Amino acid sequence: MSAERWKEDEALLESLRKGAPGAVDELLRLYQGKIFNLAMSILKNESDAEEAAQDVFMTVIRKVETFQGNSAFYSWIYRICVNTCLMRLRGKRRNETVSIEEFMPVFTDEGMHASPMDDWSKEVERDALNEELGRMIRKYTEELSEKYRVVFVLSDVEGLSNEETAKILGLSVPAIKSRLHRARLYLREQLSRYLLEGKAG
Amino acid sequence: MNCKELAYMLADYFDGSMDPRLREELDAHLAMCEPCMVFTKTYQAVSDKTRLLRRHIEYEIPPEVRKRLEKFVHAAALKYPEKIREYRDQVERDRRGKIADLVSAAAAGRLSSAIALLMESHCAACPECGEYFDSLRKTGTPPSVDPPDGIRAHVITLMQTLPPGEEFFLA
Repeated sequence: MSAERWKEDEALLESLRKGAPGAVDELLRLYQGKIFNLAMSILKNESDAEEAAQDVFMTVIRKVETFQGNSAFYSWIYRICVNTCLMRLRGKRRNETVSIEEFMPVFTDEGMHASPMDDWSKEVERDALNEELGRMIRKYTEELSEKYRVVFVLSDVEGLSNEETAKILGLSVPAIKSRLHRARLYLREQLSRYLLEGKAG
Repeated sequence: MNCKELAYMLADYFDGSMDPRLREELDAHLAMCEPCMVFTKTYQAVSDKTRLLRRHIEYEIPPEVRKRLEKFVHAAALKYPEKIREYRDQVERDRRGKIADLVSAAAAGRLSSAIALLMESHCAACPECGEYFDSLRKTGTPPSVDPPDGIRAHVITLMQTLPPGEEFFLA
């Protein structure tokens, strides 16, 4: 979180509390895209994400006066968003698309890599691949179950620290790290297979 | 350290939380193990690329959703302060009523002993309140009195000094 962003948040909080004109516009300017994006990555459905975003902003407006300020403003909003979305998911039948276990690295009994490794880390540095890669990362992220997806989105997409993500989700830092690690292992494996296929085809 | 152990320590390796001696061991393994080197590079590429390609990975908010959301939030923000004001006015009215009852009960000697004692010692120390309550007693007490702001502030402080649950009035 940059110092500038921090200042913007402080000013926004102040004007929301005072009910200053333009406060709501500023709230929307800073958070509309982020909240919609986070809601989309949890709910994976546009109309659900829209309704969730409405609930989130409603809650923020209602509770801004009682917000204690012992955590950062953005982390408070993200937390409201995550909770709102998880509540929405509850009760809905979840159709998990893939089992993450199938995409974990495989080792021999001696703990050595059981399959050959293809080094695509240099290839993906080509800018021409960016759009395609971005699409693939998003697709594979969507396949993750929500437990891993939320952590991966907050940490690796949004760039929050493990501590911040832990606070938002109400989990311990080790729990966050373990989920993030598994999510990355999954994406690594999926990207490897995808890029290898591309080469063969 | 074998390859499997190494793979499971990579998150620590990249977030800098790894014990320096373990890190040395891991680096030594990487230097002599080609598959682990490739695994580690590609693992790192996942989070590096994700951060870099954020723009392609994030969901763009559709214009019509943006419009609807803005309309909704503005409407909600307009409605909400009214409700807060109503609630605050109600709380203020309740409090004024309670103070009025308390003041008239004080003048009529109908306070519970705990608050009566507090009131007495306060009036002895505060000429403003002492005079006010004296004059009330002399003129006879109406059932409810709205005191001036200065007095009200002192009465509120007294009310807050009383332990919660303590009765204000004589039974």
